[in-house]
Amino acid sequence: MDFRDKVVLVTGASRGIGAGIAKSFAAEGATVAVNYLQNETAAESVVADCRAAGGDALAFQADVTDGDAAAALVEAAIGAFGKIDVLVNNAFHPYAFDPENRKMFWDLEWADYQTQIDGALRSTHGLCRAVLPEMRKRAQGAIINIATDLVARPTIPYHDYTTAKAALIGFSRNLATELGPIGIRVNCVAPGIVYPTEGTRDTKEEVKDMIVGQTPLKRLARPADVAGPVLFLASPWSGFMTGQVLYVDGGLVMN
Amino acid sequence: MTERAGYIPGLAPQDIAWQNLRFGSPDCALDISVPTLSDTQMRTVAATVRAGGRRLKTLPTERIVDIIDRAAAQLLDRAHPVRRKAEDMLPRITGYDAEMIRLGLTGYLKTFRKPELRKFLAEDFANPLILDDFQPMPKGGFARAFGPGILAHIWAGNVPGLPVWSLVSGLLVKAGNIGKVPSAEPLFAGWFAQILAETDPEIADCFAIVWWKGGDTESETALLREADTVLAYGGNDALSAIRDRLPVTTRYLAYGHKVSFGLISRAALDSRRVPGTAHAAAYDIVRYDQQGCYSPHVFFVENGGRISPEEFSQYLAHELSAFEKKYPRRPLSVAEAGDVAAWRHQEEIRSSAGGDRLVLGDAAGAWSVVYSSDAEDLTPSGLNRTIKVVGVDALADVAPRIAPYRRFLQTVGIAAPPAELYELANLLGQEGITRISALGHMTMPEAGWHHDGRFNLLDLITMTEIEHSAETAADTIAPYAD
Amino acid sequence: MTQDEIIRRLLDFIAADDATESAFNRLALEVFAYQFENNSPFRQFCMQRGRTPRTAKTWRDIPAVPINAFKELTLSCCPPEEAARVFMTSGTTKAGVKGKSYHPTLAVYDASMITHFKKRFMPDRDRIDMGILFPDESAMPNSSLAHYLALAREHFGTGDSRYEIGETGIDFDALFARLAQAEKTGEPYALLGASYSFVPLLDEMKRRNLTFALPVGSRMFDTGGFKGQSRELSLDDFYNQLSTGFGVPRSRCINMYGMTELSTQFYDNGNAVCPSVKSGPHWIRSRVINPLTGEDVPDGETGVLSHCDLAHFNIVSTILTEDAGVVVDGGFLLLGRADGEEARGCSMAVEEFLKAADVAATG
Repeated sequence: MDFRDKVVLVTGASRGIGAGIAKSFAAEGATVAVNYLQNETAAESVVADCRAAGGDALAFQADVTDGDAAAALVEAAIGAFGKIDVLVNNAFHPYAFDPENRKMFWDLEWADYQTQIDGALRSTHGLCRAVLPEMRKRAQGAIINIATDLVARPTIPYHDYTTAKAALIGFSRNLATELGPIGIRVNCVAPGIVYPTEGTRDTKEEVKDMIVGQTPLKRLARPADVAGPVLFLASPWSGFMTGQVLYVDGGLVMN
Repeated sequence: MTERAGYIPGLAPQDIAWQNLRFGSPDCALDISVPTLSDTQMRTVAATVRAGGRRLKTLPTERIVDIIDRAAAQLLDRAHPVRRKAEDMLPRITGYDAEMIRLGLTGYLKTFRKPELRKFLAEDFANPLILDDFQPMPKGGFARAFGPGILAHIWAGNVPGLPVWSLVSGLLVKAGNIGKVPSAEPLFAGWFAQILAETDPEIADCFAIVWWKGGDTESETALLREADTVLAYGGNDALSAIRDRLPVTTRYLAYGHKVSFGLISRAALDSRRVPGTAHAAAYDIVRYDQQGCYSPHVFFVENGGRISPEEFSQYLAHELSAFEKKYPRRPLSVAEAGDVAAWRHQEEIRSSAGGDRLVLGDAAGAWSVVYSSDAEDLTPSGLNRTIKVVGVDALADVAPRIAPYRRFLQTVGIAAPPAELYELANLLGQEGITRISALGHMTMPEAGWHHDGRFNLLDLITMTEIEHSAETAADTIAPYAD
Repeated sequence: MTQDEIIRRLLDFIAADDATESAFNRLALEVFAYQFENNSPFRQFCMQRGRTPRTAKTWRDIPAVPINAFKELTLSCCPPEEAARVFMTSGTTKAGVKGKSYHPTLAVYDASMITHFKKRFMPDRDRIDMGILFPDESAMPNSSLAHYLALAREHFGTGDSRYEIGETGIDFDALFARLAQAEKTGEPYALLGASYSFVPLLDEMKRRNLTFALPVGSRMFDTGGFKGQSRELSLDDFYNQLSTGFGVPRSRCINMYGMTELSTQFYDNGNAVCPSVKSGPHWIRSRVINPLTGEDVPDGETGVLSHCDLAHFNIVSTILTEDAGVVVDGGFLLLGRADGEEARGCSMAVEEFLKAADVAATG
């Protein structure tokens, strides 16, 4: 797919899935706005990788859970690149995926849910609002939100995290309905457990083996596996798809 | 393959010089042979048609209606060989999408069925029998309407089938008709004439379909000299060139290029109605790529609805992009692409100067929408799916903005509640608008419409009156006079 | 970059013998970034196209500004009131609105003109006796052509060079005397002017049944076409008349293609064959594009000319003309104005409407 002359904003792109998505876009010629929260060095190294891969990139610091910061991020990216064609909402609040030590439902406060909802939904909400005037101006655009396959199959009940991502899917479908008539598509990619990432670094081999055992394609997802469907949903190849959730988990969830 | 255009009674095909016009892409060319007549030949054809017109005047109008109805019925039958030819060739000649042409032909030909034709007659004649015989007049005496001996039609443009409209008008008033087809669509009129002739050989000599290359030619001069009435379509330059060459006694009916536009009330702009409104507006733009006199160039959209004019322009943009998949735009010539580019560039330049203006759509794409909140006059678009949406505080404010252009105005597509519709209609009528339709119907005038506000049939006829005095005087010398 | 830096870079660039594609690219992108930063309407124009200096990788990525924009936008990196000189288009369209080019200094314009004029019109000698068929700079202070011709006279004309057009037009008697003198002395002579200025001259010569046989090394220079200011002649007819009228071979009749919206000119190598191949120096590059998509048309196909003239640094360097052209070996052919077409249907087209509205307003 040729993404030359396309501008892509990826949130939470200094590492893990976000970094993989950014680099994959760049490898197809895209210009990527690499958003990060704290780790400037990591973000700069993603930027360097993007350029080496044949695209262009710049790093943009912003706490995307803050609406004003999200708006400023979009403005800065447009200032540098002239437009935004694709928005990938990948950022979420740090979460430790630890089956043994996870909080049980009765340990969880509403604040835990709120934190995750802010991380996944509030940031997406703020960015979608911020990027909309630009996309409407061109009567086209693609928004891709990163969810999780746990919504369909909570193998391990990470209540707060998964509930927030479930809300994100509902949010995306409503937005798809609203924006379809003005030419903007909204879809989700729902990965299974992705290894290695910050969140899954400490996941036990045993757990990974268990999941691999149940996965038809017999391995865990890598960041690059997630990037493929994201690029597809950003491309004209998916021009007649909106409001969809693509599961990227080796067939663990089928629907 | 080669298709012959035209219909020439009174001359043998082998005596005619045929010229080739090539259409379509190089790998799928379509050659059309068009007839070129010498001055003498044109005069022979004119004599034949004039005689045919005399015979036509002896047939009852109902019979002519019946013949046209049967001819239209054949062309509405998708299995008919000519209809199949039309569906194959017209898209290749004009570049318009095949499906758009198919639907357009059916919608158009339906307006030539018997009930529609009778409505058409009733629009202009309180008593259509006045075309058949002398009818008593309220003031006393009798009158009969006669069509011209030779009605010349100079057609223009590439919208398929359009010439049939005036040809049918000419037949209904029992004129002898000679029509000149445009090079951009030389076929349909000839096919229609052929089918009419086959339907009833009695009328086979009442019309001829000819061609010449635009400009001053022998055959044009000959026809303009022979015609009693000339009906011409085209740009003002072409129309005045014809006028300058007509004998002063010849009746001349000129249909110049026109500009049409749309008005959308805030009442049609809530979140439920807006997609439908945008869809209908887009359809008017897409149909024949804005080549019609009834095609919209600007939509004036009222502020204050749930959906703003700017938002409406975005809905419209997406509808155009969806229509592009269904009915792709015709491939543009270099000059047409230049016109679209010039229009778009001009809007981009204005928008760079600041102000509330958006240019939507890819430069390389097949449509462009411009939104502006400036108090803009009506101006033509770049054609070929380029449209401007202008926000206004009240639709009535549009009237003064169109006033300077009254001689170029034609149709207004309106989405507004009843009270507003009638109020606007009064304002618009004063400014020279002659037709008001729903959005989505701008390019499909209903049967019997008054083209440019004129009487299509009445404009063609002359009245012959038997005054009361002649009646009484005749009585005095009647064999039965006392 | 500051204005001074840009000017210095450009003067160096122009003074160099030639430039590689990558050197041209580098400077073109720097000039683009300078204009993007310092010229707000131009920045708006680029943003609308979704283009910034960051995403422009070659000079071909720089949005070409249609020359109409020179009429409607103030395109200047320096405050317009600080411009040392403003050149305006002569066009009378658009209710008298003229396209403006603001020059904070003429140093770059002059260097561009002098360097290239020397190479294309005066490669064989330093100075020549000139007659100029155009008003001087004091009569037309906003004419880029008046300035251009003044430069030609100042830098390449002998002391005997002079303007042959006064307030009342061409002084035919004086000019014919001058030409006769050149014939007699054998000193080469150059007649320079707007193409349309030559037409009344040729007509007058015909009326008086005059022809000249100017000395070997004489040359003719015309520019700008006829623009409705004189009778339109075909190019072949025009150069045949010049050649027979003055005894200068068509190959020594040079046509310059320039415009107010540029600071660099194109020349041909004589008009033995028309249309002649035009080309420019190493600080300007041209493309032939589809005006709608902005893409290059395939080689050999007709499109619209777009130029990237680094010397036009204060305004915009990359412009889209209204001239049709085609790329050929060694340059491009100029095919006249890219004109619109009447609508194919009964819908009104912009040109026709403007014309009709004009008639309605005045009639």
